[in-house]
Amino acid sequence: MPEQPNPEQDPITSKSYAAYYLIATVILMATLFWALWDEAWGQRPWKALQENWKDRYSAFLNTSRSKSATSEKDVEQNSDYAALKQTYEKTYQDSKPQGDEARRKLDDANARLLAVQSVFTDRRAYVNALTYELETSSSDSAKASKRKEIDKYKNEQATVQFPDGSKQKYTFPQLEEKYNEIRDERTKLSLELGDVLKPVTAARAKMDEYVTDHMVDLTPQQIDGLKRKIGDWDPQIVQINVADANIVDRCESCHLNAREPLKITPASMTSKGDKKPDEYANALTSHPEPELLKIHDPDKFGCSPCHQGNGRATTSVEKAHGNYEHWLWPLFPKANSEAGCQNCHAADMVLASGDVQWQTINDGKDLFRQRGCMGCHRYEGYDKEPEDLNSVGQQIKQIETQKKDNIKQTAYLMKQADAAQSNDEANRLNGQAVDLRVANSKLDGRLQQLDFQSHSLMQDMKKVGPNLKDVRLKLNKNWIPVWLKKPTDFRPTTKMPNFRLSDHQIQAISAYIWQSGFTDSAPKHKPGNAAHGKELFETRGCMACHSIGEGDQLQGGTFAANLTRVGEKANYDYLVRWIHNARERTRPYCPYEKKDIGPEDYAKKGLPYKFDLDHSQCPNDGHELQVQNMTVMPSLRLAPEDAEDIATYLMTQKKQDPSSYADAAFMDDPNLKAEGKKWVRHFGCSGCHEIAGFEDEGRIGTELTFEGSKPIERLDFALFTETAQRGGKNAEPIKDNEDLARLPDGPAKEPWYDHKGFFEHKLAEPNIYDQGKVRGETEALRMPNVHLTKEQVRDLTTFLMGSEETSLPASYQYKPGDARHDIQEGWWIVKKYNCMGCHQFIPGQRTILMGLPQYQDNQEQLPPKLLTEGARVDPEWLRKFLSNPALSTTDTNRNGVRPYLKVRMPTFSFSDNELRKLVRFFEALSQQPLPYIPEQVPVLNTKESDMARSLFSSTAAPCLKCHATGDPAHDKIATAPNFLLAKERLKPDWVERWITDPQAVSPGTSMPSGLFKQQNTQWVFAGPTPPSFQGYTGDHRKLLTDYIFQLTPEEQRKVASSMPHAKASAEMKSNHKQAALESHRTGNGGSR
Amino acid sequence: MNKKNSLKILVGTIALSGLLLTAACNKNTEQSSNSMAEKQAAPAPAATPIDPSTVATVKGSVKFDGTAPKPSKIDMSQDPACKGSNESENVVVSSGDLANVFVYVKDGLGNRTFDVPKDAVVLDQSGCKYHPHVLGVMTGQTVQIKNDDQTTHNIHPTPKDNREWNESQPPSSPAIEKNFAREEIMLPVKCNQHPWMKMYVSVVKNPFYAVTDKSGKYEIKGLPPGDYTIAFVHEKLGEQDQKVTVAAKETKNVDQNFKAAGE
Repeated sequence: MPEQPNPEQDPITSKSYAAYYLIATVILMATLFWALWDEAWGQRPWKALQENWKDRYSAFLNTSRSKSATSEKDVEQNSDYAALKQTYEKTYQDSKPQGDEARRKLDDANARLLAVQSVFTDRRAYVNALTYELETSSSDSAKASKRKEIDKYKNEQATVQFPDGSKQKYTFPQLEEKYNEIRDERTKLSLELGDVLKPVTAARAKMDEYVTDHMVDLTPQQIDGLKRKIGDWDPQIVQINVADANIVDRCESCHLNAREPLKITPASMTSKGDKKPDEYANALTSHPEPELLKIHDPDKFGCSPCHQGNGRATTSVEKAHGNYEHWLWPLFPKANSEAGCQNCHAADMVLASGDVQWQTINDGKDLFRQRGCMGCHRYEGYDKEPEDLNSVGQQIKQIETQKKDNIKQTAYLMKQADAAQSNDEANRLNGQAVDLRVANSKLDGRLQQLDFQSHSLMQDMKKVGPNLKDVRLKLNKNWIPVWLKKPTDFRPTTKMPNFRLSDHQIQAISAYIWQSGFTDSAPKHKPGNAAHGKELFETRGCMACHSIGEGDQLQGGTFAANLTRVGEKANYDYLVRWIHNARERTRPYCPYEKKDIGPEDYAKKGLPYKFDLDHSQCPNDGHELQVQNMTVMPSLRLAPEDAEDIATYLMTQKKQDPSSYADAAFMDDPNLKAEGKKWVRHFGCSGCHEIAGFEDEGRIGTELTFEGSKPIERLDFALFTETAQRGGKNAEPIKDNEDLARLPDGPAKEPWYDHKGFFEHKLAEPNIYDQGKVRGETEALRMPNVHLTKEQVRDLTTFLMGSEETSLPASYQYKPGDARHDIQEGWWIVKKYNCMGCHQFIPGQRTILMGLPQYQDNQEQLPPKLLTEGARVDPEWLRKFLSNPALSTTDTNRNGVRPYLKVRMPTFSFSDNELRKLVRFFEALSQQPLPYIPEQVPVLNTKESDMARSLFSSTAAPCLKCHATGDPAHDKIATAPNFLLAKERLKPDWVERWITDPQAVSPGTSMPSGLFKQQNTQWVFAGPTPPSFQGYTGDHRKLLTDYIFQLTPEEQRKVASSMPHAKASAEMKSNHKQAALESHRTGNGGSR
Repeated sequence: MNKKNSLKILVGTIALSGLLLTAACNKNTEQSSNSMAEKQAAPAPAATPIDPSTVATVKGSVKFDGTAPKPSKIDMSQDPACKGSNESENVVVSSGDLANVFVYVKDGLGNRTFDVPKDAVVLDQSGCKYHPHVLGVMTGQTVQIKNDDQTTHNIHPTPKDNREWNESQPPSSPAIEKNFAREEIMLPVKCNQHPWMKMYVSVVKNPFYAVTDKSGKYEIKGLPPGDYTIAFVHEKLGEQDQKVTVAAKETKNVDQNFKAAGE
């Protein structure tokens, strides 16, 4: 064995590894400490925050407390408070002797009770023990001896030493009696004491109440309560756990002040040395919308159902907010926070709490309809009518089959009955046959209702864009291709989006539209007076929906088209027809036969060529026809000459002459038609327009109801996936400056690979994800550029982000089954017809008209506010009014209620469906029950009538000075409705509230407040009352209301003529006046 | 539980290594808590009081360039209780002098605050006409509104920055007392029952204001020396500003011309 040489350097013996071990030890120790630290703090960042919070919040509370104490002192300085205090002190002094006496007696009774009680309870315990022994002893003899023992014990006398030193002896029954006697006495005494002290406690409570009522902020005591809570605080996870909804939200572990009852801003939570609020200060604010938390109790709703994020995570801000790759529901960014509303409120068109409207989400919801998104994209709840119509059709078919079966079955049963063995059997079968006939009669009723429904639904179906079957009647032919090139070049605010069409596509589409249009012509009209037309346009209310002027000069609403250049494109005769009644259709359409019906169809059946809402059956087969243009534009009930004047004015609205458009003869080329049809289909034009041959065309886009919960991988970022993930310098793919300006946060710098980023880019430049791709003209993205503003992109993005399939239980969805459902449904109609362009529904809401210069100095001319409409009017009257706002079938060129307003309440031709929904909406909005049962107004006796009349016409309450009377000379200056309408129109209780404080019902109204003042429990007239009121003790307000409700035309005439003013116009031929009144009454009658 | 666990760990760590790493952390937070004493707002630097012996006066007259519009007659026949004749007061010019221009110190007083005068200013309704047509008042100062007519009026201010109200005032009823809390120039006031009745209240935060009289004259007294912006506001002709510097005890003449609208 060769000798193994020792290695020269034995690593074990020759080298020290101490240094390595030391390093390793240090590293290991460090790791250990790090692990420990991480366990205690690193993974629990909320701990340090909570420590910070204690300091910052208590400092804040100290400041608030001193402020609160100061304001409490201010409140206490008030003379009202001093008076209360004085009352308190006086009652205290007054009740003192009596109270002291009562208290002394009570104390005495207590002491005596105590003395008796100690003896009594002892003895009772002994009796009970003996009784137990008696019950458990087995032999009769033992029982007898026990019984004896008990009796003996009970008869023994026990001594009670009373507090006054006296001693008394009682047997057990006496003792029991005495005990009960003193106890009753004590109860009586303490009640007496309560009675004595009642005024004192009440006075004290009043003082405290006064302070709480008059303090804007919390009282010092309340703040002390909050301070105590912090004092006892141990760092801990704060968690909301709702097992039913699988909500576990630990958000409040950091957002500790979210629910505090004070307003806490980041600035107030900034530590003293810092200039700017740090991360902690931002996290420690109170919830900015405490009112919302009141409706959505966090203990039920948690935080994440509205805000999203990972409610369970507590290890870091990113994790908790869900801003990491593996969490599918990241926190909604601040700008889009209202997206959370959509999760549960998808069925609501308007979200408002009190006077706060949630504008971002509301505008998003609105834009989706107004801009015609729903023309291409289905979204649950939008444009429901065609779907409903379909389902009604199916129900009708089903019922018809059922009916047929029933008839067959009936015949069979009767036959069976005739051949039955016994009479009983025959009667049973006949009975069944009868039941089936009744069932069929019920089905007939249902069928009738469904027919009404489909009639209504046909009426309710609207399109965002105009009917293109009318192009030949309506448009300057040569203008069409120019328009299609880029609609915003002609009309920057148009709803029509830019489709990026090639010249060839434009030619083909124009050719198809032109050649497929009706060849009928509109009736000829003579030119009107443009100046008068302008005045009407500006005063009748057109501008609540339409605008005129461009850029800074733009005035009016954006709900409907801007009319600045309408003169270049429109045909005068068609425009007159449109203004007079936009719903008037050139030819009716039969959805059953799928064709437009013409005079020849009517002639074949020998019927007159007449079609409107009352004549809507197809002459060929009796099916329901589309007899209206599917536009929301109402009729203003204008005289034909007025429509001519307005059209004449509008025809002057142009920048260039209509004849200057290049000739577009290609539109008549039949070869282009087929290709045009292809492109019309490809681009989904019929989503917004009625186009011949496309009446049944479906939507071309994806459904968006749950777009927000689509996994991010399924949103096609195309070539920009990486760019969007990476962020940085080249993160922004949009190059076009106009489109860049649509991005709410400007060009992207941060990574934008999320739903928000996708939607914003898609909305700003819809074909952005085509960039860099090689695609044929039929493959390219079809979504047109809707030319939205930054804010609109944000609104729609918010709406889409919130469009999620929620994991919350169905009970969390806001789908109320009570009157609130009526409110929900009503808003869709209110928005559909832009009612808010003219009327105020929500306190503080601005209407379009309020912003127009012509009303700045002239607010009396604004349409009425509808803040309490449901409480104001009789629902049956409201239904009549909504279907005929003129309240007359003959005298229609006026407002039925407010003839003095130049602005006109239009006739919307609401369907029965919509009328029902609107009436229910108004009633529900004012918390009025349905059906309405009118309050009985007492009939006034002659004396009362005389008194009421004298007040009604006194110089102190000159009601008829402003209210219309039907006398044309007077009504020229009238600024309020005729009292004769009240009886049918108004609710008496509302009238009482109204005449007391009209400013509270309709802020800014011409009707002054302060007519009545409260005296004891009665409301009495505030001004000098007529002499007949002497000694009258009734309620003046009630008297006047009752009088108004029984006012007759004769009475009103009598009163009007007795008034100083009416004398001046008394020379007016009385029969003229009579005629005016009569016409008013017939107007009234028309609505009955 | 969390707290107890971490405390145990903490104690163990300290015993093991004697490293007071974490204790140091705690100390830090204690310190910061002490520093979070009551927040105190920096007191506003006191405004220099006005020395009555140095105060200056600004006065002048306001002229109207061009042809004055003819005042239109108002037909008051709808209410026989409206006695006398009445003319529109939109632009009142007599031989070039413009009345009813509200003149006030718009800027230059710094952070001075002024006590609200105890005396009320009176707005009178007589002949179905407001007297005066333009009224200056300080914020918070009482405006006493009287009705001398044998008819009911209602007083209906339609402010931009103050609260709107509308109250009825029957004949020979007590005066209504109101005040306006916020500065607002040319706040319109009207009567809904007599549509021609209209006047303007100008609410300012300082006492340096005036309204031009029939001869277009105005005078603002008691102004401390300094640089000011004087604003001239007319209900129809809009606002014109002038910068002026007044020395102690000086009486400065500041005139202003208004052009007819549209010129």
